[in-house]
Amino acid sequence: MDGKIFYITKTKLQELNKEYVELLDLERKKALGQEAPKILESEDLNPEFVSFQEDVGFLRSRIDELKNILEHHELIKKPAKDKQNIVTLGSKVKIDVDGQKDEFVIVGTLEANPALGKISNESPVGRALLGHKVGDEVVVSSPIKTTYKIKNIKFD
Amino acid sequence: MDKLLNFFTEIGKLKDLKRKGWVLRGIKDPESVADHIFRATLMAWVLGRRKHGLNIEKVMKMALIHDICEVYAGDTTQYDSLLAHKSKKEIEKLTHSWPRFSDSERKKLSLQKFKKEKKALEKLTKNLSHDLGKEMMDLWMDYENGKTKEGRFFKQMDRLENFLQATEYWKKHKSLSQKSWWDQARESFDDPVLLEFMGRIDKQFHTQTKKRK
Repeated sequence: MDGKIFYITKTKLQELNKEYVELLDLERKKALGQEAPKILESEDLNPEFVSFQEDVGFLRSRIDELKNILEHHELIKKPAKDKQNIVTLGSKVKIDVDGQKDEFVIVGTLEANPALGKISNESPVGRALLGHKVGDEVVVSSPIKTTYKIKNIKFD
Repeated sequence: MDKLLNFFTEIGKLKDLKRKGWVLRGIKDPESVADHIFRATLMAWVLGRRKHGLNIEKVMKMALIHDICEVYAGDTTQYDSLLAHKSKKEIEKLTHSWPRFSDSERKKLSLQKFKKEKKALEKLTKNLSHDLGKEMMDLWMDYENGKTKEGRFFKQMDRLENFLQATEYWKKHKSLSQKSWWDQARESFDDPVLLEFMGRIDKQFHTQTKKRK
């Protein structure tokens, strides 16, 4: 692909590794004409895993995607104590957005989920917050001005 | 074929289902869910071609089915949990900013929406062939969870179509606040192609107006 680095948490890495191994196994079984394992429906179910039982093309495409991520990933690590006052990947940031309280976690694109407050480091707001400290006011202004005031930074 | 006819008849209801976000903002005769699906699918195809290695067929199928659950689940907005006992005027004012929730509220609202929509999609597809129904459910789950590159791309594409519509309504009805859309977009989009497109929307629509709130 394009050699992009994927910043991921340890949990995400484990999840992707597991999926990669399972899908390779599924592909091998399909090639041998063996029946794929029966999977029960659940909300946690990897949807691709199910559809792959029907569509070999999707299966190979997902395996290639996972391989590329696993070959080009970098783990998000907790910074040294003296640097934990700066927003970096993995920071939990308490923030005041034009007077409204909010809380973001800065994550890589694979784990971004704005509906759950997980903001990508490649989004305009994620990019703008990186490198700032508690007390900083970060203004994102094109074309509508919004001020993000950093109240607190934490790391898990 | 009767089952397919019933399915298409149910889907046809989306032509009359008005998008709730516009209704709350007092937009007269707003677009329907089907209107949104149509342009989101076209945008997904055309802009998706600029993405290396994206399976366009999968993205377009995902676009076509992403909101069909709304036949039974209705259109949900981020503001829904805040609307009780509010007047029309208060609701319009509320929509001027992007709603902020605590972590636990976010998780709760997100799960509620997911469960309601999954149940609706199951109901809608239960009489289709097993393969077809499952394909629709798998595509929807991928879109919801942003599992694959196609799911992540279309999740943002869906919002981008909405963002374009918001900008068009703003141009037509100058009273409409754009702030909530811009806040949402700048916190949500990270795809380079879609960010570039967002920049074009800004350039085309805002060249004569500066720093509008």
